[in-house]
Amino acid sequence: MLWYKAWLETRWRFAFLIGSILLVWLMPLWLPSLSAVPASRQWFGLQLESVLLCMFAAIYLAGAGINSQTMYAATSGFHGSMLFTLSLPVSRRRLLFVRAGLGAILTCILVIAMAGYALFHRPEPASASQALSYIARDVVCTMAVYSLSVLLACVLDEMWQFMGACFAWIAVYLLQSRFPVVALVSPLRGMSLIPYSGKVPTPWAPVLASLVLVGGLLYTSVLMLQRKEY
Amino acid sequence: MNDIIIDTHGLSKSYSGKPALRSLDLTVPSGAIYGFLGRNGAGKTTTLKLLLGMIRPDAGEFSLFGERVKSEASAIAARRRLAFVSEDKELYPFMTVGQTIRFTRAFFPAWRRDLEKKYLDMFRLPLETAVPKLSRGMRTQLMLLLAMARGAELLMMDEPTSGLDPAVTEDILRALAELAAGGETTVFFSSHQLAEVEQICDRVCIIDEGLVVIDGVLDDLKSQYRRIVLVFDGEPPRELADLPGVDHLRRRGRTASLLAHVDVDRVVDRARELKPISVEVHPVTLKELFLDHVRGE
Repeated sequence: MLWYKAWLETRWRFAFLIGSILLVWLMPLWLPSLSAVPASRQWFGLQLESVLLCMFAAIYLAGAGINSQTMYAATSGFHGSMLFTLSLPVSRRRLLFVRAGLGAILTCILVIAMAGYALFHRPEPASASQALSYIARDVVCTMAVYSLSVLLACVLDEMWQFMGACFAWIAVYLLQSRFPVVALVSPLRGMSLIPYSGKVPTPWAPVLASLVLVGGLLYTSVLMLQRKEY
Repeated sequence: MNDIIIDTHGLSKSYSGKPALRSLDLTVPSGAIYGFLGRNGAGKTTTLKLLLGMIRPDAGEFSLFGERVKSEASAIAARRRLAFVSEDKELYPFMTVGQTIRFTRAFFPAWRRDLEKKYLDMFRLPLETAVPKLSRGMRTQLMLLLAMARGAELLMMDEPTSGLDPAVTEDILRALAELAAGGETTVFFSSHQLAEVEQICDRVCIIDEGLVVIDGVLDDLKSQYRRIVLVFDGEPPRELADLPGVDHLRRRGRTASLLAHVDVDRVVDRARELKPISVEVHPVTLKELFLDHVRGE
């Protein structure tokens, strides 16, 4: 039943994200001027949109219901229906597992769809193994974005969680542009299709870094939620 | 069934260094309707949250149903046997009444379908209506239904009737009294609605600034406590404050009002020695007890 509840409280966000993605995908049909843009540049734009949408989905879906079912929960002292949830015979770890688990599944579905679409429109065709490799690292690296949002959702009101996550990833992007060592492990680089080419080796370091981040951030989230006082 | 449902020893809690609860000792016997009274910010909600495991005590310990609650596992075990109605009565805004009932039912194997139907009929709750469209009173009734149908042995309520109209309040109080009359459910509710507490509670505890100031059987308290009203020629003498057996003293003009509960006759005799022009002894109401203890002189 916790999964059912998690689905009910997330489904409109999921529908909104599907709508947003379809809008982006169908945009060229409404904007005929785009057909004048060379295919390679169109594809570049598409994969960039894909990365941004993946990040948006990860941040937006993580915000639903982890902290509470209200917009202003973590710091305002008004916890909405969270008090009802906490009075049920369920551990906080399980509450987080189900809530974050459903969000992660929905995020993965969207990431796979967007990665597949971007690959499908790539000017030079990709082999099946290349496509799978890209989708796998895109999923893992997006999960790093998602996990940070889960952690932030455990301590911040939803509005601040969203802004905090955006701020953090903009900072990571700026740092990776300045410092090669950050670029080496940045999940954002792992999500990008730009280095994806037969001539460039697959960037596995961001994938490993993302796996470590996911583990660390989710573990910290569980600890924070267990210690949190309502 | 255990004789003692809630038992706390030295329970303390502070927020940012400000004490909310100071060494709370509380004993709630099985089958009681226990009124937990106090002003806003007295520590009532903090106590309920501590018992539910929503916050952790700084010091002290407590038991529910005879089992010491010291870990999340023991708190979960206790929560299987209790129900909580929060002050704001917030349920999931994305569910209907029917979905909320089905959701809650899944966590309680001993769910009573007969009681579910009984309270659905009694409160006339529409199954297909979304929770945000329910009035505050209907949300309270839905929470009561969820609490009663799960077969809870302990019903904990935080200001259950706040913001409700008198008709709904009456319905809810009647349902609570009916529930407790069965003898299988203990009702522990915090309130500052003294008339309601007096109407249905058999035991009361008054806390103020995190400290218990009165705890006992309501009828016993009302029979033990007496108000002694003394009128003097001039200003009431200062010695009144030092009379043994006086719990509280209030002065207004030439009148002094004493509250006493131990050896009241002796207090009256000693007061007469101070030469008042009139002495009257009255029984006290719960409201007077409350106001005297939370206001002081």
